[in-house]
Amino acid sequence: MTTTATTDTLTDRYVAAVLRHLPGSRRSGSRRPEDQRSEDQRPDIDIERELRASIADAVDDRVEAGADRAEAEFAVLTELGDPARLAAGYADRPLQLIGPALYLDYTRLLTALLVTIVPAVAVAVGLVKGLRGAGALDLIGETLGAALTTAAHLVCWTTLLFVTIERAAGRRTPARRWTPDALPEPPTRRARYGELIIYTVAMVLFTTLILLSPVISTETDAHGAPIGVFAPWLWQTGFVYAFIALVTLNLAVAYAKHYARWSVPLAVAGTLVEIACPIALLWLAAGDRVLNPGFTQAAAWPQSATTWINTALIVVSALTIVFAVIDGIARATRR
Amino acid sequence: MWHVHDDDELLATHLQELRRGTVVLACLLMLDRPDYGYALLDRLTRAGLAVDANTLYPLLRRLEKQGLVTSDWNTEESRPRKFYRTSDRGAALAAALSRDWDELDTVLRSLKGAS
Repeated sequence: MTTTATTDTLTDRYVAAVLRHLPGSRRSGSRRPEDQRSEDQRPDIDIERELRASIADAVDDRVEAGADRAEAEFAVLTELGDPARLAAGYADRPLQLIGPALYLDYTRLLTALLVTIVPAVAVAVGLVKGLRGAGALDLIGETLGAALTTAAHLVCWTTLLFVTIERAAGRRTPARRWTPDALPEPPTRRARYGELIIYTVAMVLFTTLILLSPVISTETDAHGAPIGVFAPWLWQTGFVYAFIALVTLNLAVAYAKHYARWSVPLAVAGTLVEIACPIALLWLAAGDRVLNPGFTQAAAWPQSATTWINTALIVVSALTIVFAVIDGIARATRR
Repeated sequence: MWHVHDDDELLATHLQELRRGTVVLACLLMLDRPDYGYALLDRLTRAGLAVDANTLYPLLRRLEKQGLVTSDWNTEESRPRKFYRTSDRGAALAAALSRDWDELDTVLRSLKGAS
C-alpha cells in the first residue's frame, strides 16, 4: 500500500473502533500469546483483515477516478458510517433494548407487577405505620417512598431480565420480518404466559414480604422495636438470602422454560432448582427454624400453632417436590 | 399538504422496504462466481441494485454463518481478500427465492392489469 502516515491513521482508528465494539475481541496489537487459535479462526482478526481490504479497495477505486487519497479515505469511511453500528451488524446484535418480539410480553409483565406489588407494599407500609400511630405527613411520606422505591426496582429488574432474554442465544422467536407466526399467541401459550405472570407476581410479593418482615410487624418489644415473624436465626446465618437467591433462580428457570427450547440440561437444572426451595423449606420446618419464638410469644399464639405451621410447611414442601419431579418427567416424555 | 421533501423521504422509506429482501437473493445469484466484498458491491451497484457497504459486509458474514455461502482467503495477490461463493444450500435457497419473486411479479402484473 502506498498510503501516507496520516491516512493510515484514519483507517486504523476506524477499524480499531469497529473491533472495540465486537464482543470478545482484543486489539490485534495487544493479543495475548496464549491464544492458540489460528488467525483465520479468530472472527475479529478475520473481520479486521476483510474490512481493511474492503476500505483499501474502495479508496483505490476513488483515487483511480482522480480523487485525492486523503479525501477518498474520508469519503469511504463516511459511507461506512458509525463503527458501532457496523460492529453490531457483524455481531448480529440488536440495536434496541427490547425488540418487537418481546416488547408486548415485557409491557404485560411490567404492568402486572406494578399494579399488584406497588399497591401491596404501599398498603403494608401504610398500615404498619398507621398502627404504630405515625403522623399523617410521616405516614404519607413513608408510604409514597416505599411505593416509589418498589416501582423503581420492579422497572429496573424486569427491564434487565428482558434485555437479557433479547440477547440470549437460541431464543424461540428470532427477530425477523412479520409473518403470521407473529399473530397473537394461541390460547394455550397465552394462558401459560398468564400463569408465568401470576407466578412472578407471587414470588416477588413473597420475597418482598420476607425481606420486610424484620422491620414490619404487628408485634413490638418493650422498646417499641418490631419483632419479626420469622426466626432471627435466618438472618444471623444469612440463610434467608440464600433462600431468596433460590427463589430468584426458580423464577429464572420459569422464564427459561417459557422462552428457551427444551433441552436435557435445562430440564435437569430446572427440576433441581425447583426442588431446592421446598427441600430447604422442609429442612427449616423440621428443625423449627421458621417462626420467631419471640413473635409467637408476643402474639400469644399457643404452642400447637407453631407445630401445625411446621407440619403444614413440611407437607406442602413434600408435595411440591413430588409435583416438580412428575412435571419434569411429563415434559420430557412429551418431546 | 406534504412538501416535496416529505414525499422524497416517504418514497425512500418505501423503496428501502421493497428492496430489503432482494439483496440476499442478488448476492446468492451473483456469488455463483466467487467474489470478494468490494467487487460484489461494485457489481451490485452497476447492475442497478445499489447496496450500502455497511449493509453488505455484515450480510455476507451472516450468509456464511447460515451456510448459504462459503469463503476462502485468497492470499496470492498483494492484497489478501476474502472470496465468497454460493454453497449448494445457498443455491437451493436462491432458486426458492427466485420462484417466489416470479410469483410476486405475476401477481403484481395481474393486479395492475385488473385495475
